Amino acid sequence: MMESVFEFLFKYRPFVFQEGELTLATPWPLVLLLVMGVVVAVAAFMSYRSPRGDAGPRTRTALSGLRVVALSLVLLALAQPALVLTSTVPEQNFVGVLLDDSKSMRIPGADGAPRHELVDSVFAIPGSPLMQRLEERFAVRTFRFSDIAERLDDLSELTYDGSGTDVGAALLAAQEQLTGVPLAGLVVVSDGATNTGSDFSQVLLPLQSAGVPVFTVGAGDAGSAPDVQIERVELPASVLAGSSMLVNVVVKASGMRGRTVPIQVLDGGSMVATESAELRGEDETTVALVRLEALASGVHELEFRVPPQDGERVAENNSRAMLLEVEDRTEKILYFEGEPRFEVKFLRRAVRDDDNIQVVVLQRTAENKYLRLDVDDSEQLAGGFPKTRKELFAYRGLIIGSVEASYFTHDQLEMIADFVRRRGGGLLMLGGTDSFGEGGYAGTPVADALPVVLEAAQPREDADTLRITATRPGRSHPVTRLQGSQSTFSTWSDLPALITVNDVRSLKPGATALLRGSTGAEGDDRIVLATQRYGRGTGMALPVHDTWTWQMSADIPLEDMTHERFWRQLLRWLVDGVPEPVTATLSAPETDAETPVELRVEVMDEAYLGVENAQVSAAVSGPAGGGSIPLRWNAEESAYTASISPSEPGLHAIEVGVNSVDGSPIGSAQTHLRVADSNREFFDAGMNTSALQRLAEETGGRFYDRGNLDGLPEDIQVAGGGITVTESRDLWDAPVLFLVLVGLVATEWVVRRRKELV
Amino acid sequence: MIAGLRYLAIGSVLVGGLSASPAEERPAENPVGVPAAPELADGASGADGAASEDGAPTQSSTQASIPRPREFYFTRAMYSGFSRGFSRGSWSTDYPKADQQFLMLIRRLTNVDAPERENPIRLDDPELRRFPFLYAVEVGYMNLTPPEIEGLRDYLLAGGFLVVDDFWGSREWANLEFELRQVFPERPIVELPLDHPIFHSYYDIEKLVQVPSINYARRGVTWERDGRVPHARGILDDDGRLMVAINWNTDLGDAWEWAERPEYPLAFSTFAVELGVNMIIYAMSH
Repeated sequence: MMESVFEFLFKYRPFVFQEGELTLATPWPLVLLLVMGVVVAVAAFMSYRSPRGDAGPRTRTALSGLRVVALSLVLLALAQPALVLTSTVPEQNFVGVLLDDSKSMRIPGADGAPRHELVDSVFAIPGSPLMQRLEERFAVRTFRFSDIAERLDDLSELTYDGSGTDVGAALLAAQEQLTGVPLAGLVVVSDGATNTGSDFSQVLLPLQSAGVPVFTVGAGDAGSAPDVQIERVELPASVLAGSSMLVNVVVKASGMRGRTVPIQVLDGGSMVATESAELRGEDETTVALVRLEALASGVHELEFRVPPQDGERVAENNSRAMLLEVEDRTEKILYFEGEPRFEVKFLRRAVRDDDNIQVVVLQRTAENKYLRLDVDDSEQLAGGFPKTRKELFAYRGLIIGSVEASYFTHDQLEMIADFVRRRGGGLLMLGGTDSFGEGGYAGTPVADALPVVLEAAQPREDADTLRITATRPGRSHPVTRLQGSQSTFSTWSDLPALITVNDVRSLKPGATALLRGSTGAEGDDRIVLATQRYGRGTGMALPVHDTWTWQMSADIPLEDMTHERFWRQLLRWLVDGVPEPVTATLSAPETDAETPVELRVEVMDEAYLGVENAQVSAAVSGPAGGGSIPLRWNAEESAYTASISPSEPGLHAIEVGVNSVDGSPIGSAQTHLRVADSNREFFDAGMNTSALQRLAEETGGRFYDRGNLDGLPEDIQVAGGGITVTESRDLWDAPVLFLVLVGLVATEWVVRRRKELV
Repeated sequence: MIAGLRYLAIGSVLVGGLSASPAEERPAENPVGVPAAPELADGASGADGAASEDGAPTQSSTQASIPRPREFYFTRAMYSGFSRGFSRGSWSTDYPKADQQFLMLIRRLTNVDAPERENPIRLDDPELRRFPFLYAVEVGYMNLTPPEIEGLRDYLLAGGFLVVDDFWGSREWANLEFELRQVFPERPIVELPLDHPIFHSYYDIEKLVQVPSINYARRGVTWERDGRVPHARGILDDDGRLMVAINWNTDLGDAWEWAERPEYPLAFSTFAVELGVNMIIYAMSH
C-alpha cells in the first residue's frame, strides 16, 4: 500500500530510487539558476514589505516564506530533476527463476493453503501476469531445487517431494548453468528453510563478484504457528548391554509456552520409556532426561516422539528415529594393585553381578609375588604386569592402584600412556600410599594421561577426611548420577566421608571434575573423581583411599546399592567407546534412498599402529539382499573409505572384513545404516525471512512477499545485472511537485484572504 | 622340594623374627587405629566402648589431617561368653601376644600394610564395620547377646569376613553351631575342599594339619577332647563368597603365640602362619 502511494507521488517505486542516482538535467548553468532563485526570493519578500491590511510582521514573514518555497519548486522543475539508472537492455538479458521443490513447500499456512500455492499460482503458470511481464523483458530460465538444482522445462514436473533444501547450492548451480549469458538476476522462490548444513554466506561472495543480484520471494507465513519439534536426541551409537542410560531429548517449541507434553520412546513400535517436559517460549529449547534401560542386545530402531499437539500444522517434526546398538560383550579391565587392599575385594564384589564387566586382578601380595584373579588361563599375567603392548592392549580398561611408579620400567610407563592415547583404552588411577604424586608419577608419561596435575611428593604419614560433593557436571554425569531406585541417597554429601592419602587439588585444562571433597578447612578442596579425554581414550583419577566405606559403613543400609552402582557406572564409563583394532563408522547413521553416506574404516594392528596395505571390503545387506563394496586407502584421512548408497528402505547391516595382503584375516567390524524417507524438511521449517532478506540485500536484490511481487520485473531491470544501458528518467513531472506547489499557493491565498490582503 | 624350601623360609622368619618380645619392638608412638587393650572383667558382657577412637578413621565426622589409616588391622572379636576358666573372657585367649606375633609375621612375609598392634572390638560396636577382617577364638564358649548377633550378621552381610579358631570336639562344635544359627538360621555350614581359593590365595595348601596348643604339643598330642580330625568349614553368602571360615579341632592362635619357642614344633607354626596369611589375603580380595 505504502509502496503504491509512493509510486503514485514520485512516479517510481522506492527500489528504483534506491538503485538510481538523482541529477538535474537542465542545460542551463547552475549559477544562473541560483541567481534566479535569489532574485525570486528578494522579489517575494519585497512584495510583502509594505504594510497592508492587519497583517503583522510574523504573518508577512510566513507568507513570503510560502511564496519563496513555491517559486523555488518552480525553479526546481525548470532545472529538470531526473533519475539516472543502469537499466537492462530489453530482451537481451536472462533471468533465472529458482523454484523450491522440497517437501517443506507442502506445509500449510494460516489460510490452510500449502506454501507451494504461491509457486503454482504465480510462477508455474505460463502466461501469468507476472511471468508475462518478466518474459517481455528477459529470457527466463526456470530451475527447480531441493538439495540439488536442475533445469525445469516443464512446470508440471514440480513434485514438492525433495528431501532437503539448499538454497546456496541451487544458486551456484543456476549461476553456473547460465554462465556465458548476460544474467540480470536470479529469482528464488522458497521458504528459505535450508537444512543441508550449508548456509547462504558461502555463496554470497561468488554472486557478489559476478554482480548477480538475487531476488528472493518468501513462501510461507512469517509469523510462528504453534509447533513442537524434537530438535535432537543425544544418543550414543552403541551401548553395553545392561547399561542404564539417561538420554537428553532436546525439544524446541514455539507458541506453546508452559504446556507440558509427553516424550515417548518407542522400540519397534512398543513404548519403552516416557517422560514429560514443560515447554518454554519462542524457539527456546527444553531438555528432557529420558531413562532407557533393559534393552536386549542387538540393533534397536528407537523413535523419540511428542504426540501431535492441538493447533500444530507440522506433525512430521514431532519425532526422530535413531539407531542404537546394544552390545552384549564382556569388557575386560585389568586392575593392578601393588598391595593387598580391601578396595580390591569390594570393587570385585560391586561389579560381580555385571556380566559385561570382567575385572582381571593382578595384586602384588609380596615382592615379586602376585595373586591373579579372574584370569582366562594359567598363563595370563603369570609374569606380572604386561611387558608388551600386545599383552596390555588386549584389555579395554586399566586400573592402577597403590603401585609406586618405580615398579614400572620407562617403557611400561610409556606403554600405559599409549594404552590411553593410541589404543583408546580407559585408565583409572586409584588413591593410595603409592599412587599419584606420592607414588612418584609426577613427570612420568602416565601423568600426562591423568586429568589432574601431579606434584612430586613423598608417601604421607597422615591423611585427610573428605566430605564428598558432586560438581555441576557430576550431578548428571553417567558415572556419578544418583537418581534411581537402588540408592537410598540422593546426594553424595549424604554418604560417609572418605579418606585420602594423596594431595590432589588441581585439574588439568580440559578435564572435568565429577566429585570434589572438602576437608572442612576453608578453601581446602580436593579432587575426588575427574576425567579427561587423552588421545583416543579416557584418563580418570579417583584419589581416595577407601570407597569401600560406602559399602561397609554402619551408616549405609545393607540393601543400599550406591557403592555397587558407583563402580558399575564408573567401569562402564571407563571402557565406553573404547575402539577395536578395526572400526567402521558412517558419516550418518541414517539416510534416504538418494543420498549416499561415507563408510570409513580404520585398521590397526595388535599394537594399535595403522595398517595401510590391507584389503578391506564391506558386505552391505539390507531387506532385499546385499552386495560387497571394496574400500580404498585414503591417505589424507589415514583410513579406508567408500561411498554407500543403498536404494531400498530399511535397516542395512554393514560387515567389514579386513585381510592382510597375503589374505590372512586381520579383523572385522560391523555397523548399521537405516534407510528411510527423510522428513528433515519438516524440521526448522518455519519461513526463514531473515535469511532470504539478507541474501537479497547482500547481493543487491530485494526480498518480496506475495503483496509486493508486482514490482519484481521492473526491479530486476534496474538492479544493475546483465547488459545495461544508462537511462535517465524525468522527475519534473512527478505528481508530488505539482501537488506541493498547488498546496503552497492555495495556503498563501487563503491566508491572504483571512488577513484581508486581497 | 618346594614345600621344603618354604618350610625353611617361614621357619627362619619364625625363629629369627620372633626371638625378641614383640612388645620391645613396638614403635614408641601408638599406631593408627589401634585401640588400647580393653580391661574386661567377665566375658565381654560388661564391656562398653571398648574400642577407642584413638586415631582410628571415623566415618561421620569431618576433620583435617588424621594419622594415615592402614590397609589391614588384625581385629579380634570381643564377644560375650561363658566365663569359666578365663580371666578376661574366652575371646581373649592368647591375646594379645598371638595377635602381635602374627602381625609381625604378616608384615615380614607379605606386602600387607598392617600396624603391629592388636585391635580388639566388640561385635555390637558400629566401628566394627571399619575392619572387614575379624578373628574369634574359643568359640566353644561363645554366648552372643542379641545386639552382638545382629551386629555380626550385618557385618558379614555388608562384606565382613570372620575367622573362628581354637575350639575342639563335638560339644564345642555344637555351641558354635548354635551361635551361628542365631546369626544365620538358614545358611548351611559347609566343608571347605582343599581346592577352595582360600587354600591357594598366597601359599598353596595341599593338606590340613592339626595344629595343637603348646601344652598338648609338649606331650606329643595334637588333639583335644574328641576332636581328632581337623576341619575347615565355612558359611557362604548368596554369591558363594566365604563369609565365615571355621577352623575346628585346631588352634592356629597358639601356634602364632608360641612360634618363637624352641619346644613348639616348627611344622605346626609354619602351617598356622600359612593358613593365617591365606585367610587374610583371601579376605582382602574376595
